This record gives sequence, C-alpha cells and structure tokens, in this order.
Amino acid sequence: MFSPCTRRDSLRTVACGFGALALSGLAAQAQARQSPLASKTPHHPARAKRIIFLFMSGGVSHVDSFDYKPRLIREDGKMRQFGDLRSLAKTGKSPEMRVMKPLWDFQQHGQSGLWASGLFPEMAKHADDLCVIRSMHTEGIAHGPATLFLHTGTTTFIRPSMGAWINYGLGSENENLPGFISLGPALGNGGPRNYGNAFLPAVYQGTPIGRAGIPAKDSTIRNLRPLRSEPQARRQFQLLRELNDAQIQAKPGETEFEAVAESYELAWRMQSAAPELLDLRGESPATLSLYGIGETPTDNFGRQCLLARRLCEAGVRFIQVNYADNSNNPAWDQHSNLPKHGDHAKAVDKPVAGLLEDLKQRGLLEDTIVWWGGEFGRTPYAEKNGTGRDHNPAGFSIWLAGGGFKRGTTFGETDDYGHHATVDKVHMHDLHATLLHALGLDHERLTYRHAGRNFRLTDVYGKVVTDLFA
Amino acid sequence: MPTLRSICLLFLTIGVASAAPTDGGIAFFETEIRPLLSEHCLDCHSTAKKTRGGLNLDSREGWAAGGDSGPAIVPGQPDASPLIRAVRYHDLTLQMPEEGKLPEPKIAALENWVRMGAPDPRTAVTAGKKQTGLGLSEGRKFWSYAPIRPATPRAVQDPAWPRTDLDRLLLASAEKAGFRPARDAPPEILVRRLYLNLIGLPPSPAQIDRFVKASRLDPKAAVASLVDELLASRHFGEHWARLWLDMARFAESSGGGRTLLFKDAWRYRDYVIESVNNDVTWDQFIREQIAGDLLPAASPDEKRRHIVATAFLALGPTNYEEQDKQQLRFDVIDEQLETIGRALLGQTLGCARCHDHKFDPIPQRDYYALAGILASTRTLFNYTDNVARWVDTPLPLDGPREAELKAHEAKVDELRKRLQKAKTDLAKFAQPVAAKDLPGIVIDDTEAKAVGEWRRSNSLPGFIGGGYLHDDNQGKGAKTITFTPVFPKMGRYEVRLAYNHHPSRANRVRVTILHADGEETVFVDQTLVPAVDGRFVSLGTYRFEKDGAGFILVSNAETEAIVTVDALQLLPEESLETPLKNNDAAMLVRRLESELKQLQSTGPVRQVAMSVLEAETPSETQIRIRGVEKNRGATVPRGFLQVASKAPVQISPAESGRRELADWIVSPENPLTARVLVNRVWAWLFGSGIVRTVDNFGTTGEKPSDPELLDHLAVRFIEEGWSLKHFVRQIVLSRAWQTSAEGTAPAESFVRAQRRRLDAEQLRDAMLLTGGRLELSYLGPNIKRADEIDANNTSAQNVEYGYVYSDARRSVYTPAFRNNRLELFAVFDFADINASIGKRHASTVAPQALFLLNHPFVQDQARAATEISQDLPTSERLDSAFLRALGRTPSPKERSACERFLGTQPTAEDWAQVHQMLFACIDFRYVD
Repeated sequence: MFSPCTRRDSLRTVACGFGALALSGLAAQAQARQSPLASKTPHHPARAKRIIFLFMSGGVSHVDSFDYKPRLIREDGKMRQFGDLRSLAKTGKSPEMRVMKPLWDFQQHGQSGLWASGLFPEMAKHADDLCVIRSMHTEGIAHGPATLFLHTGTTTFIRPSMGAWINYGLGSENENLPGFISLGPALGNGGPRNYGNAFLPAVYQGTPIGRAGIPAKDSTIRNLRPLRSEPQARRQFQLLRELNDAQIQAKPGETEFEAVAESYELAWRMQSAAPELLDLRGESPATLSLYGIGETPTDNFGRQCLLARRLCEAGVRFIQVNYADNSNNPAWDQHSNLPKHGDHAKAVDKPVAGLLEDLKQRGLLEDTIVWWGGEFGRTPYAEKNGTGRDHNPAGFSIWLAGGGFKRGTTFGETDDYGHHATVDKVHMHDLHATLLHALGLDHERLTYRHAGRNFRLTDVYGKVVTDLFA
Repeated sequence: MPTLRSICLLFLTIGVASAAPTDGGIAFFETEIRPLLSEHCLDCHSTAKKTRGGLNLDSREGWAAGGDSGPAIVPGQPDASPLIRAVRYHDLTLQMPEEGKLPEPKIAALENWVRMGAPDPRTAVTAGKKQTGLGLSEGRKFWSYAPIRPATPRAVQDPAWPRTDLDRLLLASAEKAGFRPARDAPPEILVRRLYLNLIGLPPSPAQIDRFVKASRLDPKAAVASLVDELLASRHFGEHWARLWLDMARFAESSGGGRTLLFKDAWRYRDYVIESVNNDVTWDQFIREQIAGDLLPAASPDEKRRHIVATAFLALGPTNYEEQDKQQLRFDVIDEQLETIGRALLGQTLGCARCHDHKFDPIPQRDYYALAGILASTRTLFNYTDNVARWVDTPLPLDGPREAELKAHEAKVDELRKRLQKAKTDLAKFAQPVAAKDLPGIVIDDTEAKAVGEWRRSNSLPGFIGGGYLHDDNQGKGAKTITFTPVFPKMGRYEVRLAYNHHPSRANRVRVTILHADGEETVFVDQTLVPAVDGRFVSLGTYRFEKDGAGFILVSNAETEAIVTVDALQLLPEESLETPLKNNDAAMLVRRLESELKQLQSTGPVRQVAMSVLEAETPSETQIRIRGVEKNRGATVPRGFLQVASKAPVQISPAESGRRELADWIVSPENPLTARVLVNRVWAWLFGSGIVRTVDNFGTTGEKPSDPELLDHLAVRFIEEGWSLKHFVRQIVLSRAWQTSAEGTAPAESFVRAQRRRLDAEQLRDAMLLTGGRLELSYLGPNIKRADEIDANNTSAQNVEYGYVYSDARRSVYTPAFRNNRLELFAVFDFADINASIGKRHASTVAPQALFLLNHPFVQDQARAATEISQDLPTSERLDSAFLRALGRTPSPKERSACERFLGTQPTAEDWAQVHQMLFACIDFRYVD
C-alpha cells in the first residue's frame, strides 16, 4: 500500500523520531518550531518537568516492603477467608488461605518515621524523600492485562501508552531527542504496546534502548553506528547528498523530498552526538559507585538508572527504566520462594537510592518525578499454601519522590491484612491523572481524536489526588 | 424550601416509614445526610458534575430511579438498598465511595436515614441535554446510509481527453473547478508505476525496455497488455493480499498480555493471496471469512479454504490471560465487531458497546444484536483454561488420504487411552516424598549448589522434598546445578537423577559425573517419565572414593526447553538386588510414551487451522449496561445495523446467524460495504480516497469529495460481480490514473497523479530484487517447523522472541509477530498490527535514514547488487545500476557525482557504496 502523505504532513513530521540533534541556524529553528515534538505549553503551571518511572515488573510484595501489617505476624499460618480475586474471577468462589507474615522486619526510618522493611535498606535511607501511596488498586489479575493497564489505562484495548500521551502533550524539552525513552523493555506482557503510540502519530512512541535480557552496557539506539570507517562514511554521505540534491532539483517544489533530505542530515548529526550521551565513561568513579556500577548484583540496573539521569538532564520527558525480563512470570513474580525477592531487591535497591541521591545533588529532584512500583502487589496469604504470594491488584504500594510531591509521607491505607485498599484509595487511573496533573496536563483535556471521537489516557475515569502535592 | 411536590412525596414516604420522627426527618436529612452526600458522593453522582453508573444522588428522583442496576435506595429497608450495601464495603463488587470506606458513624447515619424512609426534600434539577446520535430515519438520509445511486452523465468541454466513463466524470469536475488534467505520464514513468502498484515490485531493465518499445508502437495497447499480464501474475495476489491483511489485522502472534504464537495463521495469509489471485468475488470472499464453516463445500479442498477463512474472526490481539473468562469472551466479540465494522462497513461500532452511538445512527441494541451472533459463535476453545486458547479445526483431506489419516488417528487415540491409564496407575507414586524416606544417599535440590538463576516450583506433582528447580527456559548455558555427595565408604554406586518430567521439558539435558575413574557425560530426556518410581532415571554405576572429590553437574547448556532438577540419589551397588516394586508401571508409561512418539512422528499429520465454531446453543444476548459484562439489561434479538437494513431479519434459531450476517454485509440493500471497498481500492491506487477517512463513513468521518463518483464506482463494482481484478483494471486503464505527477491540478482532483513513497514491504522487496536475492517461492509457512510447534506451550513464545529474520522471501511472507516486528517494518510505518488499519501512518523520521545508512541488511543487498554487471565499464555499469534501482539512467549531475565518488579505479566496496546510496536516495523511495 502506498501511504499518502501531504507536503504539510511531511513538513510537520520531519523533525520526528530522534529529532534534530545539533540543529543550528535560523532555518533549523523555524523547522523545529513546526516539529510535533517541540515543547508545548501545558494546560496549567507544572510542578514537574519529567518523570523517571522505575518499573518493577512482576509485582513487588507491598506487605514485605512498605505496608507494615502487624496482624500478619500475629496470625501467621492461620487459615482465613480472603476473597481471592483470581479464584473469584475464575470461579466466583474463594477458598480459605494461609496468612503469611512478612519475611523482612519492619522499622521506622528518618524523621518522618516512615515504615519500611529490611528488603530495601538503601531506599529506606531516603525515607524523608518518599511519598508512599499504600492504597493503590488497579485492574488485571494476570501480568499481561495489569501491565498493559499500568502503561495504557486499559487491559484490553489498543491505546497509547502513558509516555506517548505525555510526549504528545508536552513535546520534548530538547527537540534533539525523543521525548519518551524506555530502557530495557521486555518483549512479553504487552511488549511494545507498553511504549507504543497506538493511534497517536508515530513520533510520540517510546524509543527503546536495549531490551530485557540484553546487558545494559551493550544497549544502544539502533543503527547509530556507521558500518564503515569515518572517512568512508563521510564520503558516502556526501554522495547521497549530491544524489538527493540532483533529485530535488529535478522535481522542484516537492517539499516532501526536502523533508527526506533533512531527515538524513539529522541522522548524520545524531551519529556523532548521541553515542556520547549514552556513554557512561565520562562519569566520575564516585558517581559510578553511587549507583553500584561495577558491583555484581547492581551493575546492570545501576547503569540503566545512571543513563536515566543523563537522559533526564538532556531533557527527555518520560524515561522508563525496566527491571524486567521476557518471561510470563517476570522478575518480582514470586508465586513460590518469596525469599527470592531479596535477590531482586539487591539488584535494584542501591541503584534506585543512588539515583535519588544523584538527582538531589544536582538539583534535579525538584522538577523530576521518580515513580517506583510494579503493576500490582502481592497477596498477604501464601499461594496454594506454599512459599510465595499471588498477585494482588486490590491493594498495593508504590512511591513517588520529587517533582512537587509531599516528602516523607504515607498516603492511604489497606485493610489490616494489606489485602484491599480501604482508606484514600488511589486507582491506577487516579495515579495517571495525578502524574499528568503534576506535569501541567489536565487528564480530561489531554485528548486525541481518533475513529470519530476523543480519547484520553484515563478514559472516563481518574481523579487528581491533590493531597499528594506538597 | 421544599416544594409542594416534594412535600407530597414526603407524606407518601412517611406512610411507609413507621419509625419516622415527627418533622418527617427533614432536619435529620439537612444536618446529617445532605453534607455527607455532598462531601462524599455528589462529585461522581450529580447532574451538575458526573453521573457515574447512571446514578444521580442530588435529588429524590435521582436515587429513586437509580442507576444502571436499579433504584439505589429502598426506603425503609437499608439491607435491600444498594447504596447501603455499597457504603458498608462488604461486597467486593460494590464499594463506595471509591476513595475508601466512610467512618462508621456516617454509615450508621445513612442506615438510619434509609430506615426512616429516606426523607429527602430535593427535587430533580433539569439535566443537561445528553449527547445522542442521529435517529434512524434521519440517519437513513445521511450520505453513507442512503441507497447507492447511479451517477448522471456529465458533459465535458474537452471530449477528446476522456478514455473511459470514469475519465468523463473526473474531467467534468476538474473543468468545473477550473483545472486542467496533467499531461500523460511518459512510458518510462508509467511502467514503474504499473509494476509497483499492481505487483508491488519494480520492473527489471528488460521489462522497462519491452514496455517502452511497445508503447512507441501503440501506447494504449501496450498498457492494456501489460495490465493483463500483471493482473495474471501470482505477484499480484502477493501484493494486493497485503491490503486486505492490513484490514484483517493479520498477525502470527497474539501480542496482548501473554503473547501466543499463531502457528497456523499463515494458512489464512495464503488463503487471502490465493483468493486475490483467483479473483474470488469479494462478496464470496467476505462470506467465507465470516461464515465459511457454515457454507456448503463441493470438495474437501473447498471445505479447507472455508475453514481457514474464518481465521479472520480469530486473529485479534486477544488477551488470552484475562482471568475473567466471560469478560474475555465479550472483549473478543467487541474486537471482532470493531474489525468487521471498520474493515467492511466503515463504522465505529465499538462506540455503541456502552451506550447508543453518540454521533451515528447506531443504537446500543444494534451492537448487542450483532454481538448475539458472535456470542453464538465460539472463538475461544473453552472458558476455563487459565490461559485461554483459540479454536483449532482439523482440516479434511481428499478421499483416500482422509481415510488413511483417520485410520492413523484411531491408532493414536487408542495408544493415548492406554497411556492415560498407565499414567493413572503410576500416579499413585506421584505424591511428594521427603528425601529421608528414600533409600541410599539422597541429596535434595536445596542442598545442591546452583549457579545462575534457578526458579523453585511445586506446580507439577511427584517431587522430592518441597519442590524442584527449573531454569525458566532462560539463560541457556549459564546455569548449572552441582551435587557434591559425601561418600561414607569407597565403592560403586548407582547414580540416579530425579527431575520433574513434562512434555514442555528439555529432551537432551547434559549431566556430567566426575567419579574416581574419570568423567562421564550422559544426556537425560526430561519429557519422559523417569523409569524408576516415576521419579528417578539412572545415570549409570560409577566408583567413588570415600570422601573423594566426586560430583554430579547438571547443565542447561544447548537445551531448547525447560530444564528441571529435583534430587540426586546414590545407591551402593550391593543394595540394588531387590528391584523396586513400581518399576513396571513406570516402564509401561515410558514404553507407551515412546511408542506414541514413534507413531506420531511417522504417521500422517492432521493439519489444523485457526477458526471459529458454532456455539452449542445459539441464542440472543442481553445488552450490557454501560458495557459492563455482568450488568445485564434487556435481551435483544440477533440482527444487524437497522440503519443499513430494509426489513427486520430472520435468523435461523439453529445457527449463530453468521451466515445471515455475511449475506447482509454484501447485500445490495446495505449501502456501506460496496462504497467502503471501492473507496479503499481507489485510495490504494490513487494515494487518497474519495472519502479520505477510509475507515470512517460515519458522521464524524469526512464526506466524499465527489459522492456521485463514489456511487458510480460502487454500482459498477456490484454490477460487475464484485471482481477486484476487473475493478483495478478499470481504474488503471483510465487516462486519469495514467497522468503525470507534474502539473498544477490539486491531488484531490484525481486528474494528476500523486507521487507516493514505497511502503515498508515494497522497500524491502525492491532492495532484495535489485540485489538479485529476492526468493520468489509462492505460499507456504515461513516459520520453520511451524507444524511441530505446540502453540499453547509457553516456550512457543521463544519462537517469536528469539526469531531471527533471515529469509529473502517477499515481505508478505515475513512472520508478522506482534511483539517482535521485523525492524524494517517497525521503522517504515508498518509496526502496529493490533487493529484493522485502512491507512498507515506516514512518517519521515531520522531512524529511517539511520536504517538505510547503517543497517547491515541494506549493505548486504547493496553488495549483492554489485555482483550483477561487474564486467561493464564504469559508465555503462552506472547505467545498469540506476536502471535496476530507479528504473532510469542517471542524470548528468548524478552521473558526475557517482563518477567523482568512484574515481578511476573503483573497488568492489566503492560500488557497494554507490548501490547503497541508490537505495537511500529519494527517488528509490518514491514512485511517480
């Protein structure tokens, strides 16, 4: 099929994708002004400019980390009727389940006295920076649906991901870079749909760097490296310029051709500018060690977190760092062998704390939201009465830091077991609405017309939780 | 102040509320209830703000009429009032307010209030007008729902120009608007346009030469004869199938949550290609895809085609993992309706899932009338599996082959039954057992040394201790388990490994035994039941020293499926005299398993196709209020869109109604289908549609630029029997289609050709063809050993995740995985195959430039291209290179640029670079 594209379209879309790295001169600026990725004015004054989302794929157990429930310790091993959501969805019934106490001891931390377990000792040191929401609830009992819901606001339909919406709503702070980057995304559990643009123009889709299962140090933007030596590549590019010039002159007035030629110029400049951004070698040893880079359990996630900071400095709006793998039972999914949570915690704890520290030192935490969490939590009871916990979308914890959110705060509660959110409940739609709000976007006004109607990230739901703002 | 009416109501209420205080409870309402409602409820339940669930709590009428699930309050009866149930927070499905449970005193106040009869002085405020769509009778007057009318002939000022009646219509409009048609495209341009539009491949230098020469003699005859030749080429189907496959959101994996491999989807792709090549009329083509399984078939071959065609309904991005299977069932139906609506009717049917369509004349009941047809159809194998499955239908063969296959299947069946019984007998031994209860030295997996990430599981029975370890089918070669037994005395021991068997396990697991006399490597097939007790397999008998350095190492290297390790047992040779009692049962299972494997691998294989089935009992379905599956409203008789039907339909009570649905879609009384289809073909050939929103013929879409022209085409298409080839021929033989892209007439006038870019498939195919590497094999699967894959086995995903796209077949055969696209497709706007797409995105982005500059695929094709005419002198070699890539010789400027680049002694690599830049240059990426 031929995809028709008007001249106007092509002018509008020329600076898309990785954009006009190193654009200079008036003509270039005029071009950039028309770029769909050019920075846009938000709906209302923004508290934050960007988000780093640290995605804990598989579902971290909140009752073992940030939601302290003494009752689980008192009643450890007792059989209770919980209303297990999976059984209810499948059979409409629910058997009794065995209460399972947290495997890590809880303590209060910092001046705020925030409860956190020994699972994340490094994050706990930042207790006074965190805004922990303990009353999250969401949709989707299995990973696929819940992960899609987290990213796109629906378990089923083909919808743009949150990063794409933000990219569409705000553009990039730096038109030389994509506005939305996902570091090491997984192929499974929704795969590319989690950073996809669906019906939004393709320029707003997330740009993946690497892929789950590929070490962070080997991950880069695709096709960035010339296949040939620098002088050869340069000579070849010069030939292409001459061919394109001749062809443009042969068909004067075809602005779409100029757009194609311009896309080559951008690509050429990117080849030299982007690798530097992705190269961590210029960082000081102190910074590297802050993130645990060079140490066995933390090296990989540490690199991703540090790269997130660099992208954040460069002006990317939405950076997702994935702690994920391609399997159907991703990373944190401890249906059995809950102690395994400890291994994952070791891999992420120090890098995440390092990121918070680094952002703080550089003054970036003020206008950067760090969002840490998974697609759901885990049950307070043992799955199949074994050694692990099942999924729990009815109540779980996430935390936010920076970006104008309250510090050293906990918000909302689950019931005495940590099963269902009960007080100040925050639905995933509400979190989406709140995060957009913090970025200056009104979730009810951030719409896109498709198939005859307006769509939005929060569908017809979502409430901004203003109590979370400082 | 309460109005007279509310006071009347109040008295009525007092009548039923025996416990009412003397002031009628108004004071109680004002002090306790009004502020409470206002603080906690009215944000979501009031006419002024939102009306969630259809419920307003800002007036007595509001809660008395109630929401989607009926009245919210039964005065006097708190226990019977949904509102009270919701605030009590006991019912998991109904909890309000959403933000969290109210404090107990507030709940008690609400209970009291309801108990006293729910006194409420507030009367209904007039609600704002709800947005509703066109009514049916108004709707029938809207252009797309109105009957198709033949065009009236138009007079033209220049009668010499038009060649066909189509030209006459177009010229008349152009003249009226004051445009001159562009001049005719020269044959050198036209030939490339014809090849790329009709078969998707650029012409070779010889083909160009032949056409240009023929054109000099008789231009019209040359075009006609080339068009006939191209329409008859099997490449026509390979190119044009792609257009329907986009509509059908064709894919070879589900994407969605847990992506599953559609291993048989290629049959549907082939079906589409063949149907186009055989010019199956489109009314029949559509009937087969919607109701193929219900149509009469004259031969097994036809039956096969009919079954395969129904994959159209099954290919969606289904979320098989959704745990609420009734919800999933309706999500599937919704996706099917959305696809049928978009692809065939140009309608946004999904909008009517939750309420009447807000713009178009589609009431919600029409949606559920259609949904009833699909609810009477089975698209999911069952509604109980944890991860649901689609329906595979066995495909019949011709006479004798079918008999042979049936006989073989009977044998397999018989053997399966025996195996099942043997397994049941063996299952007695499959209880978990503690390591200490087994003889000899037993080391459980918990005491072994694990390298790499092993996962613990107890999901399949028969393990020793608390469970077993598995490698999660990842990190192949990087994971090992080492057992280091302590031997109490020197001697010979039989070494036995316990593993967790299952068909999903690896069949060649490497185990290394370091013993006193050296090292031994054996391989274990973990798909088989272990021979000893159904738990252990013997690895042989070896000598070990007392306290020596012996160990047993299990590795997951070179395996392609899950590796498990449960325990290790070492038995002193002397203790082995008494054979274990249940050996026989295990041996029988093993023997039968291997017999079955043998039989299955040697006998004929029954092919299956993704498809749908009739439900056991077809029936009407109910409206889902606000689209919530569990919130059922009135039952709706099965039917179609009323706005596009003349009389109410009769649907056979014995069938789903798909046959009638298909008939309605292609019936002459339905004005949508033919209009939508001719507009699509027009858009594919001209670059934009007469209706530019090709998927949306509703009131929110664009109107046709020339409604009479659209109807003229639709009338012709129907009259001439829904033949695609005929229709395409009619268009490309028009003079309008053969105009040059140069000129002043606007593109929308269709009397000047539009310059268009090659799409992702054409770009890839053209590079392969230019390099002489395009492999032209016709039809057939492209995923190796697709037939052998068990698509419901989780490891089947690795076929997608680890897929290496290395074939050189035409792009239509490239595996269409939803989660792992071919990079070239993703970069060149062919990424999203999750929904029916009538018009792909068209972007000009830097990643495309980077791809053409730096991707090895492009470089490889360029190098291959240098091998073709390498003996020619530079100048002629340049001519040849340009002809093959761009369909023309270089301009003086291009020639001098290339000659400067090549210098006097060009190397092969210099030439490769020239070829690569020809792939990258503008003219390669466009067709005039």
